[in-house]
Amino acid sequence: MAEITPNSLKKNTKFFKRNKSFERSLNIYGWIFVSIAVILLAIFLFYPIVNSLILSTMSSKGIVQKFVGLNNYKKLFHDEVFLTGLKNTFIFFIIQVPIMLLLALILAAILNDKTIKFRGVFRTGIFLPAVTSLVAYTILFKMMFSLDGFINKGLLSMHIIKNPIPWLMDPFWARVTVMIAMTWRWTGYNMVFYLSGLQNVPDELYEAADIDGASKMQQFFHITIPMLKPIIVFTSVMSTIGTLQLFDEPMNFSQGGVTGATIGPGNSLLTMSVYIYNLCFKYMPNFGYAAAVSYVIVFLVAILSIIQFKVAGDKK
Amino acid sequence: MKKRMLSILLVMVLAVSLLAGCGKKETSSNQEQQQQPQAPAEKTGKITIWAWDPNFNIAIMNEAKERYQKENPKVEFEIVEMAKADVEQKLHTMLQSGVKDGLPDIVLIEDYNAQKYLQSYPGAFADLTGKIDHSKFANYKVSLMTLDGKVYGVPFDSGVSGFFYRTDYLAQAGYKPEDLNNITWDKFIEIGKKVKAKTGKAMLGFGLDDGGLMRIMLQSAGQWYFDKDGNVTVANNEALKEAVATYKKIVDAGIIKKTSGWNEWVAAFNKGDTASVVTGVWIVGSVKAEASQSGKWAVAPTPKLNVSGSVNASNLGGSSWYVLENGKSKDIAIDFLNKIYAGDNDFYQKILVDRGAVGTYMPAQGGEAYSKEDAFFGNQKVYTDFSGWIGNIPAVNYGLYTYEADAAIMAVMPDVYSGKLTVDAALKKAEDQLKNQIGK
Repeated sequence: MAEITPNSLKKNTKFFKRNKSFERSLNIYGWIFVSIAVILLAIFLFYPIVNSLILSTMSSKGIVQKFVGLNNYKKLFHDEVFLTGLKNTFIFFIIQVPIMLLLALILAAILNDKTIKFRGVFRTGIFLPAVTSLVAYTILFKMMFSLDGFINKGLLSMHIIKNPIPWLMDPFWARVTVMIAMTWRWTGYNMVFYLSGLQNVPDELYEAADIDGASKMQQFFHITIPMLKPIIVFTSVMSTIGTLQLFDEPMNFSQGGVTGATIGPGNSLLTMSVYIYNLCFKYMPNFGYAAAVSYVIVFLVAILSIIQFKVAGDKK
Repeated sequence: MKKRMLSILLVMVLAVSLLAGCGKKETSSNQEQQQQPQAPAEKTGKITIWAWDPNFNIAIMNEAKERYQKENPKVEFEIVEMAKADVEQKLHTMLQSGVKDGLPDIVLIEDYNAQKYLQSYPGAFADLTGKIDHSKFANYKVSLMTLDGKVYGVPFDSGVSGFFYRTDYLAQAGYKPEDLNNITWDKFIEIGKKVKAKTGKAMLGFGLDDGGLMRIMLQSAGQWYFDKDGNVTVANNEALKEAVATYKKIVDAGIIKKTSGWNEWVAAFNKGDTASVVTGVWIVGSVKAEASQSGKWAVAPTPKLNVSGSVNASNLGGSSWYVLENGKSKDIAIDFLNKIYAGDNDFYQKILVDRGAVGTYMPAQGGEAYSKEDAFFGNQKVYTDFSGWIGNIPAVNYGLYTYEADAAIMAVMPDVYSGKLTVDAALKKAEDQLKNQIGK
């Protein structure tokens, strides 16, 4: 903190060296400058974290609260809806994230090839979904994937399917639809990370591999992937967090109905975040229980991130 | 060095603007507070209202505002339109946090949620007992906003349900309007099969995970997911068993067009793909939106369940106005609701004609608009019919957990459709889940 001040006071070095109380006063200025950030951080970050932890030990009916200790957490294990949410979240996480990351990696490797024409156009095109609003693209997909929507009509007219696929009306297909949508939205985003990572991979490696007779496949697995490892870890951690907090897509895919009882057919799209929302705003407002669910997410994200770092084995 | 100075400057500018931001807010709220003391005496002030649906609630509120302002020109109105979910979310967070600034004076709350708000936020809503004459409103509406003998809201629109059908399709299948009066759901399915066979059209647009129709069936039998004391009655509820079985029969009969979400559901009958809709009266606007179908629609009473006590009248949705205890213009807000919503007969005629809003203010239902023939519905006096049915709607206790129950039951429905679970087993599963969730 104090490091700022000597610089700005170079002219007065003599004075500065001698006068200790002045140095201390500079220290105070340092603290004052930092204090704004610290106070803001404390109010808007640390306080909510601590407070929500306390809240998670309460059972509430609106403002009528009572202390229940760890009962909220115990209740979670018997709460079918929560367990469904957990299951769904993990289905999305286990299936969608690897597919998306692999796809992004392959696309990045292809688009990094300098001999490809219109590279920029392709790169932009694939990245573009990442700038669309989550709600807008979900609604668009919902229209495309409706029973007599664009996708079914296309598949029918190409004679790939005989009967329209009940995209959003069957638990299995509903999940598939959300995964397709998420892959469309996020692949380009991850691809950009890989592309930028690839800029740091020296061409000499590929040249040397070429001379040694390594195929493109071998180059991909033995040069590209190892060189990108830190970035792969980063994207997989980010995707993990993103998937565990999945909210917009399931919410918007399922929203509506005359009154929309479940999130997707048979709650097939219910994720933990959506459940938190429902606990707060759709059901009897039990903010305490909702806080407990959100701490489960925090806990899971922490565990999964640790596992990913360990598996990636970054010993440095 | 220059850079550092610059960044320090930047931080300071940010900090100052932040503080300035805070200050600004305070002054504005001070101004509003200053207005408050003189408000009740001279009837000046500002009523803030939160509601959803620009074509319905908001438009109706604007009409009410104009009527009130004729008498009280000094009262300002701020009618804020938000999505329904946003109104609920905002209200929950504000009431939960305990802040009093920024609360509206009047808020629209869906009837299913009424008790939830009243019991979750004691003291947040103004007690209107004696300030509004509740005896003039439909009984079932008043009972759902009563807590410990006190009535907290002003009943607004009715969700009285009806069986809307396409006369041309039904005629093709050999049914006359008389054949459709006061039928049971079993008869409905039978008719649907014939319609499907003769016209190729589905009888209903149907969301497999939509519990709306089930609530119509339940209330027609005077039952709900909870009994009068709020205890869960799911597994041993005859009406509910019958309703779930009927859902399965409807799906199995192949008389539905499966839809997902509101838009598809509305599109199904707007496009002429389905022969009927069974839902609340508020759908009239959406049905009429397809002008080319004018004269081809009619309304019959809601089908009833095959259980004792079930009647051919029910309800789906509907909402009411509530006054916030801590609102800045509470007294004017109450006066406003009392003058217009609980006293202006003409107002109810106007909103019925303009918006198709069926109020639950009983004196208004003798008005001329209610007895008008509607060309869209083949000159049927639909609103006379609807207001007649309103009186027959069984009053039920919606309790605090309607949406939890709805979700718990609709979550087991896929297994019921597929035959994996019997109706009894499914309801048992739903009840266990529900009890765990609400902690009983």
